[in-house]
Amino acid sequence: MKTKAVEKHDVDLAPVATIVASYAPFTEGSIISSLQDIQDRYGYLPRPAMDELARLSGMPVAKFYGVATFYAQFHLEPHGKHTVRVCRGTACHVRNAPQVLAKVSQHLGIEDGETTPDMRFSLETVACLGTCFLSPVMLVDSQYFGRLTPDRAVKILDAIDGKDAAGNTAD
Amino acid sequence: MSEITAQIKELRLRRSEAQTHKPKRAVRICATGCRALGALNVHSAFEKELASSGLTNAVALIKTGCQGVCAGAPVISIDPDGIVYVGAKPEDVAEIVRTTLIGGGVVDRLCFSGQNAPIPRRADIPFFSAQKQIVLDRCGRIDPTDIESALAEGAYDVFDRVLTEMAPQSVIEKITTSGLRGRGGAGFPTGLKWSLARAAAGDIKYLVCNADEGDPGAFMDRAVIEGDPHALLEGMLIAAYAIGARRGYVYVRAEYPIAIEHLGIAIKQAMKSGLLGEHILGTTFDFDLEIKIGAGAFVCGEETALMASIEGKRGQPRPRPPFPAQAGLWGKPTNINNVETYANIPAILGMGAEEYAKLGTEKSRGTKIFALAGKVNHTGLVEVPMGITLRQLVYEIGGGIPKGRAFKAAQMGGPSGGCVPARYLDLPIDYESVKEVGAIMGSGGLIILDENTCMVDIARYFMDFCAKESCGKCPPCRIGTTRMLEILQRICAGKGELSDLDKLEALAYQVKKNSLCGLGQTAANPVLSTLRHFREEYMEHIALKQCRASACPGLVESPCSHACPAGVDVPDYLTLAAEDRYTEALAVIQMRNPLVSVCGRVCDHPCEHRCRRTDIDEPLSIRDIKRHITDTVAAPWRAPEQWTVSETKQKVAVVGAGPAGLTCAYFLRSFGHSVTIFESLPKAGGMLLVGIPRYRLPDDRLKLDIDFILSTGVKLQLDSPVNRLEDLFDAGYGAVFLGVGAHESTPLKGFDTTTPGVLDGVRFLRDAAFGQAPQKLGRTVVIGGGNVAIDAARSARRNGGEVTVVYRRTRAEMPAYTEEIEEASAEGIKLEFLTQPVAAVIDKGHVTALKCVRMELGTADESGRRQSKPIAGSEFQIPCDTIISAVGQKVAANDAWGLRLNTDGTYEVDTVTLATSRERVFAGGDCARGPASVVQAIGDGQRAACSIDRIFGGKGELPDNLKLTQKRYAAEGESAPPRPHARLAGLVSRTASFDEVVATLGDVEARSEARRCLRCDLEHACK
Repeated sequence: MKTKAVEKHDVDLAPVATIVASYAPFTEGSIISSLQDIQDRYGYLPRPAMDELARLSGMPVAKFYGVATFYAQFHLEPHGKHTVRVCRGTACHVRNAPQVLAKVSQHLGIEDGETTPDMRFSLETVACLGTCFLSPVMLVDSQYFGRLTPDRAVKILDAIDGKDAAGNTAD
Repeated sequence: MSEITAQIKELRLRRSEAQTHKPKRAVRICATGCRALGALNVHSAFEKELASSGLTNAVALIKTGCQGVCAGAPVISIDPDGIVYVGAKPEDVAEIVRTTLIGGGVVDRLCFSGQNAPIPRRADIPFFSAQKQIVLDRCGRIDPTDIESALAEGAYDVFDRVLTEMAPQSVIEKITTSGLRGRGGAGFPTGLKWSLARAAAGDIKYLVCNADEGDPGAFMDRAVIEGDPHALLEGMLIAAYAIGARRGYVYVRAEYPIAIEHLGIAIKQAMKSGLLGEHILGTTFDFDLEIKIGAGAFVCGEETALMASIEGKRGQPRPRPPFPAQAGLWGKPTNINNVETYANIPAILGMGAEEYAKLGTEKSRGTKIFALAGKVNHTGLVEVPMGITLRQLVYEIGGGIPKGRAFKAAQMGGPSGGCVPARYLDLPIDYESVKEVGAIMGSGGLIILDENTCMVDIARYFMDFCAKESCGKCPPCRIGTTRMLEILQRICAGKGELSDLDKLEALAYQVKKNSLCGLGQTAANPVLSTLRHFREEYMEHIALKQCRASACPGLVESPCSHACPAGVDVPDYLTLAAEDRYTEALAVIQMRNPLVSVCGRVCDHPCEHRCRRTDIDEPLSIRDIKRHITDTVAAPWRAPEQWTVSETKQKVAVVGAGPAGLTCAYFLRSFGHSVTIFESLPKAGGMLLVGIPRYRLPDDRLKLDIDFILSTGVKLQLDSPVNRLEDLFDAGYGAVFLGVGAHESTPLKGFDTTTPGVLDGVRFLRDAAFGQAPQKLGRTVVIGGGNVAIDAARSARRNGGEVTVVYRRTRAEMPAYTEEIEEASAEGIKLEFLTQPVAAVIDKGHVTALKCVRMELGTADESGRRQSKPIAGSEFQIPCDTIISAVGQKVAANDAWGLRLNTDGTYEVDTVTLATSRERVFAGGDCARGPASVVQAIGDGQRAACSIDRIFGGKGELPDNLKLTQKRYAAEGESAPPRPHARLAGLVSRTASFDEVVATLGDVEARSEARRCLRCDLEHACK
């Protein structure tokens, strides 16, 4: 996927210093947690923020970059306003999750790991949300929607898109 | 050991305070797992309702963790009444308060539904009563965000005793005595692990809790942390004390936000109470605990990768030794256990290690928590003693398989585990037994798979998972999993070759043997276990391009059509029926199946068993719509216009005018070959005529189909048995298809059908078809549980018999079609289950009774069906005048034909081409596969016609399906009228004659029913 290069001046780097300070003394053991904090703050890991993190912590940026690209949780690119996570756990898989994913992917016009061009939705799959009794299940931002059918999944996304606010809890 | 400090005294005081203040009456709502289904809204509704009823002080309202029966979310329990309510909505709350809290009664509709009646009380619900909750004791009872709530239920009591009464070494001894083994999956003895860590040299030691519950389908650890985080903390405190660790980490997956939140709260509260940090409870024992949040890498569940991740590195494993106990976190001795293992510790020391060791099996002591999910009615979290059987878990606790489908396998151990098939339903589950059958205990994820799950797809699914999650460090895992995935993808797409299975197995063993860590070493297990137990499904994908579960998208256009052995384009004709285009609908069916009237009546409709609409409400009534089409379109029917038959010079002989033979002849005509059917009986139809009673398939409807087939130019010679195949070849036939039915009964030991009054079931049905069956049957006992038995029973009833069917197993194991059994029962036929016939009692040359013995169900056979065994001394007699033996049917192979036979006496055929051992001779239906369904015989006839066309140099390809519609009427979410139920003829009239019992659907009904079709085929087309 093509992304536009993020310039240093696009990003407010002040929070990075606060984050680094909260780990003092900053050791290797703080790498993952600090990246998690950065992602919480910016929604993804902007390159300038990673550079700043490296500068302030005194560790090579490659260390941060290596960790960031290893774990599924980290994004190096901006994410959509809403993140849709379709569970691909076993219980969901045997209860038609593949059809749900196919329909959601078709509806949004993006594949797993992509973001819609209008930056409204990002689509991800997760190994298992640990809510197998809701299968098949998807998580939109922090809200669970369970016992899905392909059509219902699309209706939920439409509702969110329409109101641009998560609806009430799933039935 | 410490003396009793002031802080310890204070804690004890706090505990007894908390105990005295325990609420007398409480409403507990699961606010963790159930949150996704509106639990918090229900909670606020309770808050309001209790306030407005003035009960706020009298009734405590508690937000708990998981109460177990997740299928009933949101789950509410009311104590001390012991009532459990499931699936309540905010609008139900007022009624609960009024009826239960004030009135002391029960709201029936919110109760757990039992077999016959709602079950209000927890103690009576099998889901709970079959469990043994030790680790989960407080989970679902306490407020996990309030330490006082945990203290009131005994939290940290054991730690207090450990601190004041036990030396570290004796703690380890107790754990060793208890026999506890690691609950993360591998089952390493916990006591031994601890003693290694304790013995390791060095001042600094670490304690780690693995809460990176990454196995898809496992949610035990999540529930424990969310519902009772103090159990984990107490277990870790005791472990740290025993080992000598001063610092600990809990590594939790980021996907568990509630668990992280609750654990964080628990740690804060424990610190405030002096239970964590320096000088714990005023003693010399120090222990700090920190949460590390995982970042989404399955491999971090592996202990060395997990430690790398805690150290802030990429989570890649390293070779062992050194083991963590020697050199773990930052090179220091480290003890790693998972959540459930630690949470077991206080329970073990609380009840006594010896008591604990009495639970479970010899090598696997104690209890195990399982996350029951997938195709099971009561999904949820259960804690049971080791050694429980799969059957108890699935049926007793889990309430069986939804929609009455058949259990196929249990997936245990996630991507490192395997699939346990139905024949091991009675296997006691422990670490060893599960391993023996090719799976692993794993962390306790138990995914139930039913007949609609494809085992090759499951193997592909897990391999996809492992290939994605392989960390990439070692080539055997990185490359091996990818290569195996490619092969599995190929097979699922119908592009596999037979040699692929050998390649797959060879790769699997290499990856297993050479990978660095547990992920790679076990990645091949799902493949190996499915190859071991479900090899035939792999073969079907490769050779027949068939997926028996109708699940593989690469092979399946729509599940119904794929499940149909004849491959009828079901969605297209349903839509045509919905649009009142019956003539076209008939033509669509006849493109693949010429016996439409027959199948509209007696097909066992595998299509309906796979219908995806079942997941929303009920399957489409496909067979009844088909029948309505045939009852509506005026005869005579003509061959589809698409058949542009140009006559070839090839002649084919078909032996037997049953469903296989008739179908084969019909499709041979579609290729332009000349066909003659040789039938030994004076009428055409084969088993359709002499095996299926007229009340299920009237003569004129059978004739309609046969006339249609003959209208395509098929020649029929009746009363013409074929003695020698040579005669046919000599007469110029270029190929022969054998479609002979199973006209013989399987003999039953001890019953001589030459004795007057002892009849042969298949023979009886044949005689009945020709109107020659004996009329004065009197009290009749039919022996058997299959379709022949039920057909014979219902025919006997119509011939004036007073009929009882005896079957040695129970109703659940009966192979006969369910609706036939129900109708038989409605017609006054008595069913005697668990009854094995021993002998006919003959007096003066006449039958006077049937001597029987009572049976009981035992363990599963190969197919998972429970076998029965006699109960000693339970012999009894059923007085009767006639006995009909109908325990099975078989084919009488013609030895003169010189064909190789299978052990069951059927002709040996190539599964793909249906070619027999003799050149140019093909066979299908009963004589090739044993007693088969009508539609299987039709499918075989079609397949053989294609094979025969190929030996004549043709392509052997049927004309394309017509594809006349592209419209879907069903809108999901909108309620559709329910599936119509067949209307039956009145009982009095129907038992007095052989008139058809089931009436056709009404036109409006049929068309509205057809609109329920989801048109899965269109989804596929747009992919």
